[in-house]
Amino acid sequence: MYPLMSSWVFAYTQVQPNIQVNYASIGSGAGIAQITAGTLNFGESDAPLKTTQYAALPSGSTLLTIPISDSAVVPAYNIPGIASTTHLKFTGSVLAEIFLGNITMWNDPALAALNPGVTLPANPITVIHRSDGSGTMYAFTNYLSDSSAKWKSQVGFATSVNWPVGIGCKGNEGVAGCIANTQYSLGPLEIAYEITNSGAINYGSVQNHAGNFILANLTNINLAVKAGASAGLPAGNAQWSGFSIINNIYNDSTDTQVYPITTFTYALVYQSLSASYAGTSQAQAVGAVNFLWWVVNSGQNAGAKIGYPPLPSNVVTLDDTTLSSITYNGTPVYTGS
Amino acid sequence: MTSGKGIGRRRAGGDQILRGLVASAAIAVVILLLALGAELIIHSSLSLVTFGPSFLIGTTWDPVHQIFGALPFLFGTILTSILALLIGLPIGLGVAIFLAEKAKGRRLFGYTLGTLVELLAAVPSVIYGLWGLFFLSPILRTYVETPLHNYLGFLPIFASAPFGLDFFTAGVILAIMIIPTVSAVSRDILNAVPNSQREAMYSLGGTHWEVIRKAVLPYARSGIFGATILGLGRAVGETMAVTMVIGNTPRITASLFSGGYTLAAVIANEFTEASYPLYTAALVEIGLILFGLALIINLLARLLIWRMTRNTRFRV
Repeated sequence: MYPLMSSWVFAYTQVQPNIQVNYASIGSGAGIAQITAGTLNFGESDAPLKTTQYAALPSGSTLLTIPISDSAVVPAYNIPGIASTTHLKFTGSVLAEIFLGNITMWNDPALAALNPGVTLPANPITVIHRSDGSGTMYAFTNYLSDSSAKWKSQVGFATSVNWPVGIGCKGNEGVAGCIANTQYSLGPLEIAYEITNSGAINYGSVQNHAGNFILANLTNINLAVKAGASAGLPAGNAQWSGFSIINNIYNDSTDTQVYPITTFTYALVYQSLSASYAGTSQAQAVGAVNFLWWVVNSGQNAGAKIGYPPLPSNVVTLDDTTLSSITYNGTPVYTGS
Repeated sequence: MTSGKGIGRRRAGGDQILRGLVASAAIAVVILLLALGAELIIHSSLSLVTFGPSFLIGTTWDPVHQIFGALPFLFGTILTSILALLIGLPIGLGVAIFLAEKAKGRRLFGYTLGTLVELLAAVPSVIYGLWGLFFLSPILRTYVETPLHNYLGFLPIFASAPFGLDFFTAGVILAIMIIPTVSAVSRDILNAVPNSQREAMYSLGGTHWEVIRKAVLPYARSGIFGATILGLGRAVGETMAVTMVIGNTPRITASLFSGGYTLAAVIANEFTEASYPLYTAALVEIGLILFGLALIINLLARLLIWRMTRNTRFRV
């Protein structure tokens, strides 16, 4: 998320030079914790709050969940000897078996069956994952939990899990670096980081429920978001704990080109702002809401260049409604400017 | 001096104030230490109550199922620190011996070399981590770990397939980081060994090396031990350099080429994402264990040095 946020902040200062947004990339869990503690104007997370986290919010307050972007997690790997134009095919259950430690070699029959024209090397797979808690891992383990009952019961999904096998590297940059430096390695990576490291590492396609092997790109991520949001999104002021694009499209066979491991990134902001919360001033409330409005409505194209597809229009409409409901001392903040 | 009025009295007053200030500073440090320990205990109380002593011997760290145990991290911290000492102590001591004994005639050379070694201590920890991740780890994997694994893989310590991010690389990086501490302190210790010791050995017909080995080093033993403990203290707490090269997997194993985890690394990695109170408390308890470990190491070192030096005139 950090590359996207920093490019937004930079672009927004061109539009509104007198507003300064300070963004600290400290992880989704910390974003949630800080907004609960009331130290931020708005927080950001790749994972929605869990019901227990909603319960921990200050009583009487309503936290708004606003999808501001979407992203995808791809299986990135480093296999010398396989051309960069060849993208290995994976399924959810095979990925789950690899990350459970049950499939240990690249030339395992299960992988060979999925990739018939490719000579897979007889080398062990080095599994790489995040060492720190992460929304990217939340999405990936969500997908693995859907794909494998064994994974779901043994490991589960969260921002930090007890990985059965593999090496942990810090940050998406760390995972990309580890994959690039370790031959025959495989790890889940946010697509934006794959794009910037595409020389050293390659990524594979993942099979969706319709049976197609989808190589993640802006189009199919966009399709996944549309399909995942089509059954209806929770209202901005509702709890989003049960919402997951991955779950919604996991059994979707009608949308044939969706990329299965797709996720929203959320901004979190309280509905009723006032000076009693984090000492927010009117100007800060206006600044925050205007920034988020700009991000949702005008900033989406900036993300497309680095691998974050624009939000579909129904999500933008929902976000606009949610943002309009933010008040400062009872008065709506957004005035259309 | 303290009698009488006028100048005498002012000096006494000044002394009082100075003594008071200095005593306050000392007391403040002690209070700070106690407050630090108390805060750690208070914020880990949920975890202390939930897990009790089983936390220290628990081997599972599972944030999803809310089971936490510190043993893999304790193991990793101790193993990497011991590795660091095994590699760093001979090198640091070697540098110190060279500078104190062999470079005596060449002042500028000795000074330059000494400064360069001490510059190692000026490099920030995270730079060591980056350098280790992108430069040292692949080299160690290709030229050291893979041959050792291929030829001596029947030995448990070389049994895992090497990937470069493991206890071994972490130990090497830590060794490099403690060399300046060990060498600087040891060199001062060796310089403090009286020449009478050396002369006595020479008069018995010893070679230069025998003088060092049999007269100088035994005399400086307690001081070198103190230097070792200082190095160990630094190795135990190192965070960023270790977490970037150790593989960050909680594991207890005899193999040096396996990924591991340390107390400091797990706090750095997971604290910002600790999403519920028990998780945070468990991480603070890890911090409490690390704090306790560092205190115990230092107290043990002081005790041993005291025992070694109480009957001699030479004190560190």
